[in-house]
Amino acid sequence: MSNSSLTRAVVGVFAVTAALFLLSGGIQSALLSAPSLRTVLLLGAFVIIAAFGQGIVVLLGGLDLSIGSVITLGGVLLGALVPESNQNISWAIPAILFIGAGIGVFNGFGVAVLRIPAFIMTLATGIIVQSMILEFTQGAPAANNAPSWIAAFSNSYWLGLPILVWCILPFIAGAAVFQDLSSLGRALHGVGSNAKAARTAGLRSTWLTVMCYAISGFCGALCGCVLLGFVGSPTLSMGDPYTIGSIAAVVVGGSSILGGTGSFLGTVGGALFLGVLSNDMTALGMSAGWRTLIQGAIIVSAVLFFGALQHGSGGMFRLSSMRLKTLAAGLRARD
Amino acid sequence: MQTFKKAGTSPAVICVSLYIVAFVVYSAVQGNSAITPFGLSVLLNDSVTLAVAAAGLTFVVLTGGFDLSIAGTVALGNSILAVVGLSGPVGAIEGLVMVLLVGSMVGIVNGILVAYFRLQSVAVTLGTMLMTAGIALLVLNAPGGQVPDAIANGLTGLIGPVPVAAIIIFGLTAILWFILTYTKFGISVFAIGQDRIATRASGLNVERTEFGAYVMAGAVAGLAGYMVSAETGTGNPDYDPSFLLLAFAAVAIGGTSFRGGRGTVIGSVVGAGLLGLIQKMLFALGVASFFTGMFEGALMIVAVLIGSVSALLSARESRGHRGKLWFYRGRLSP
Repeated sequence: MSNSSLTRAVVGVFAVTAALFLLSGGIQSALLSAPSLRTVLLLGAFVIIAAFGQGIVVLLGGLDLSIGSVITLGGVLLGALVPESNQNISWAIPAILFIGAGIGVFNGFGVAVLRIPAFIMTLATGIIVQSMILEFTQGAPAANNAPSWIAAFSNSYWLGLPILVWCILPFIAGAAVFQDLSSLGRALHGVGSNAKAARTAGLRSTWLTVMCYAISGFCGALCGCVLLGFVGSPTLSMGDPYTIGSIAAVVVGGSSILGGTGSFLGTVGGALFLGVLSNDMTALGMSAGWRTLIQGAIIVSAVLFFGALQHGSGGMFRLSSMRLKTLAAGLRARD
Repeated sequence: MQTFKKAGTSPAVICVSLYIVAFVVYSAVQGNSAITPFGLSVLLNDSVTLAVAAAGLTFVVLTGGFDLSIAGTVALGNSILAVVGLSGPVGAIEGLVMVLLVGSMVGIVNGILVAYFRLQSVAVTLGTMLMTAGIALLVLNAPGGQVPDAIANGLTGLIGPVPVAAIIIFGLTAILWFILTYTKFGISVFAIGQDRIATRASGLNVERTEFGAYVMAGAVAGLAGYMVSAETGTGNPDYDPSFLLLAFAAVAIGGTSFRGGRGTVIGSVVGAGLLGLIQKMLFALGVASFFTGMFEGALMIVAVLIGSVSALLSARESRGHRGKLWFYRGRLSP
C-alpha cells in the first residue's frame, strides 16, 4: 500500500467510526451522548496502549499473543506490591514495566534468534506467564484495592474527560511520531517489508525485532497498571480480552498483518471503532457468542479488505497468473 | 528419491525412539499397571484427541501455513454433539458425519481465504478461530449437555484386548499417510511447501492443493472434537489455547518443519503421544498443576528447536531442491 492510500485508510477508519457512533443513536438514544462517548474513549485508552505494542510487532510481520497475560501480570503485581496507601509505588511501577519489557525480550529472542514462528513463541510465553501468575497468587490474587493514585488516575475527571484520556493524547502523539515519522520507525517499516534488504542496507534487524517485542511487553505492563486503577482489584483474567482486542485494533486500523505497512493513527481509529461497536453490542444485549463471532468476522474482513487494497483491485488473482506467465517466459527463454 | 525418503522419515525415527524411552521411564514410574490393556487404553484415551488434531494440522504445516482455527473447530464439534441429542450406534455415525461436515466447512472458509485470496494464514485462521468459538458459544452457552453413550462409552473402551482409541488412531494415521505418500494431492502438498513457484511451473494446481490441505485439517479437527466428546461425555464451548499450543508442539516434535515441505503424519501422532506421556509422568511425579503451563510453554519452544535442528540436518543431507523436484515431476507427469 502506498503512503497516500495508507492515509486514506486512516481517514476512512475514523470516518467509519464517526458514522457508526452517529448511527448507534438509532439503536438507543443514550448511545449518542457525551457519557457514551466518554466510555468509548476511556475503554479505548486501554486498548490503545496495548495496541501500540502490538502494532509495532505487527509492523515487523510478527504477532504478540502474550500481551493479555502480560497485562494481567502487570495488574496482579501492582495489586500485590502496592497497597491502597501507595507505599512502594515509586519503585514498584518501574519494576513492573521492566519485567514486562523483559518478557518482551524473551519473546524477541525466540523470534529473532531462535527463529521460532512469532505466534507460537508468544503463545508459549503467554501460557508460561499465565501459569507464573497462578503460581504467584496461588490461584487467588490479593483482594487489595488498587493504589489510590492509580485509581484516581484512571477514574477521576478533568474538564469532563477522564485524566487517563487526557494523558493518552500525548501518548498517541509521541507514539505516532515514533512509528510513522522517526528514523527508528522508518527502519521498522523497512525491516517489516523486507528483512533481507534491510539487513543488506545495514539495519540490525535482530536488535530491532527484540526491541519491538520489548516495547510490546512494556506497553502490556503499562496497560495492566492503569487497568488495575480502573477495575479496582486484580483478577486472573483482566488482560485476556486485550490480546485479541489489540490485534483487532491494529488490523482494523489498516496495518498489514504481513508487516511493513501500518500507521499508529489508524490503530487508534481501529481501537475507537471497536469501542463503539462493543458499546452497541452491549446495548443490543448480544451474548458472548455473538460478540466473539463478530470479533472474528471483523478481523477476517479487515485482513481481506486491506489485503485487496494492497494488491490493487482484482490484483490478487492477477498476481498469481502474472507470476505464472513470467515463469513460463523464463523457462521458454532457457530452452 | 532416496534423499526425499530420508528427509521425510529421520525426524520421525528420532521421535519414536524418544517415545520408547519416555514410555520405559513412565512404566517404571507407574509400575506394572501401565502395561496392562486398561493402563494402555487410559494412556491412549488421554492423548488421542491431540494426536488426531495434530495429524490433520500436519497437512497445513506441510504447505508452509498455520491453522489456528482447529482449537475453535474442536470446541464447535464438541458443543454440537452435546446439544443435538443423538442416540444409539446410528446416532454415533450421524454425529461423526456431522462433525466432519462442520470441520470441512471451517476448512473451506480458511482454504478459500488463504489459497485463493492469498491472505496470511495466521491472521485468517485467528479470525476464523474466534468465529467458530463464537458459534460454539451460540450452540452451547455454558459447559454442559450430554454426549450419546454410544460415543462416550463405545470409543473409550476395549474391543477384546485392543483399545478402541488405538484402532482409531492407527486407522487415521494409515489413511492420512497413504494420502500424503501415494496420491497426487499428497505429493503436491509436499511440493508447494518446498517451492511454490517451481510447483506451479511443473503444472500442479497450487491453489487447489493448498485449499485441500485446509479442508483436510478442518475435517480432522472436527474428528478431534468428536474424540473430545467421547473422552469427556459432555460439551464445552470454550476453546483451549494450551491445546492449540500442544497441537503445534506435537507437529514440531514429530519433525515437521514450520517452513513447510518436510514432515510426516506419523511423527505428529507420535509427538502427540510423547506430549501426553510426559504430562502423565509429571502428574505421577506430583508436579503442581500450576507448573504444567510453564512446562507446556517451555516444551513448545524446545520442540520447535528440535524440529529446526533436525530439518537443518536433513537439509544438509539433501543439498538443494532440484533433485526433489525431479522426483515430483517423474511421478506426476503422465
